[in-house]
Amino acid sequence: MARREVGEINAGSMADIAFLLLIFFLVTTTMEVDAGIGRTLPLKRDNVEQEPIDIRERDILEILANSNDQLMVEGKFIELDELEEIVVDFYTANSKGNETDPTMPTYELRTVSSCQVQIANLQTLLESDPDNADLNREKEKWETKLALCEEMPTKAYYEISKMSIIQLKNQANTSYGLYLEVQNILKKVVNDLRVKKCEELGWEDYYELDDKTIDGQEKIAMLRILVPERIVEARIDR
Amino acid sequence: MSKFKKKGNKDIPGVNTSALPDIIFMLLFFFMVATTMKEVDMQVDVVKPVADQAIELEDKDNVDFIYIGYPMDASQGTEPRIQLDDMLAPDYTFVSDWKQMKAREGKTPFDIVTSLKVHKDVGMRIVSNVKEELREIDAIKINYSADQRD
Repeated sequence: MARREVGEINAGSMADIAFLLLIFFLVTTTMEVDAGIGRTLPLKRDNVEQEPIDIRERDILEILANSNDQLMVEGKFIELDELEEIVVDFYTANSKGNETDPTMPTYELRTVSSCQVQIANLQTLLESDPDNADLNREKEKWETKLALCEEMPTKAYYEISKMSIIQLKNQANTSYGLYLEVQNILKKVVNDLRVKKCEELGWEDYYELDDKTIDGQEKIAMLRILVPERIVEARIDR
Repeated sequence: MSKFKKKGNKDIPGVNTSALPDIIFMLLFFFMVATTMKEVDMQVDVVKPVADQAIELEDKDNVDFIYIGYPMDASQGTEPRIQLDDMLAPDYTFVSDWKQMKAREGKTPFDIVTSLKVHKDVGMRIVSNVKEELREIDAIKINYSADQRD
């Protein structure tokens, strides 16, 4: 039998096939990145009676965006670019513990011993009711505060009044664009303040904190206490 | 014959194209890796607002998207509408059922972030209604989609 050479496979159309695939991916590609501002809405608690707490006027920052896309803070019309300063002021006016501005939230001093007292109190309460989720959460919070005191060079820090909230009110025709601008400014203020706190404490950059490590989680928990993000939104009538 | 025509074939040799498929494949792989497919066919027009504090959305498999914007199909009117997957929802009360229907194995609505992609001119009433609807089923993790300013 004669030996036959195996013919070479013609690879000339390979480029065409690759081109076809390439064009397919070119067409179906969307390169945009999905970005956004993350928020957690308050949990709906049907069966829990809200205990009446007396809220002081000074602890609330009321921001209203009306149907004509005008902004009002504490009943006064303002421009959008003034908002950032007002929010920063809300967070920092009395942050040294002294009454600099009586219309802004108070700050309380937390020391190692005051945290320990609170933890001990909660511990005794927990002994009779060890599965109470609220008490456990509260205790965890105070343990974070204790750790925060230890972290401070002075072993103490000032904490903004826990009643302090930012109240965001919208009307039916407020544009979503304005709403998001306001949310963006609130986020920016909180981020900037947290960055500053990180610097003061000698930690790594705030944006570098990794919530997948225990160290990162602890630091983020502490920053949440130092610069809390408490936003309450009034709902619009349906 | 002519004294100018000398020995041999003077044709320009063809360009060697054997490396062409490799080059094309390289491009192809680049696009395959860099690609994200469009999630849905858009039924509504959404011009996202800009926000410099927006951060990139992670773990997109565990995110549901709700689009709110003006319908592209003129027969659907001019009022802002909610798009869930590929369909326009008749009104906001469908949001919670849809969200529950999309629940993943072993996960509650609480675990799945809801990304709201809302046109910047839409009024807050519809957004507020959708948010309340999501709160009803404890889907409280929200992401307000926005373009990052550079």
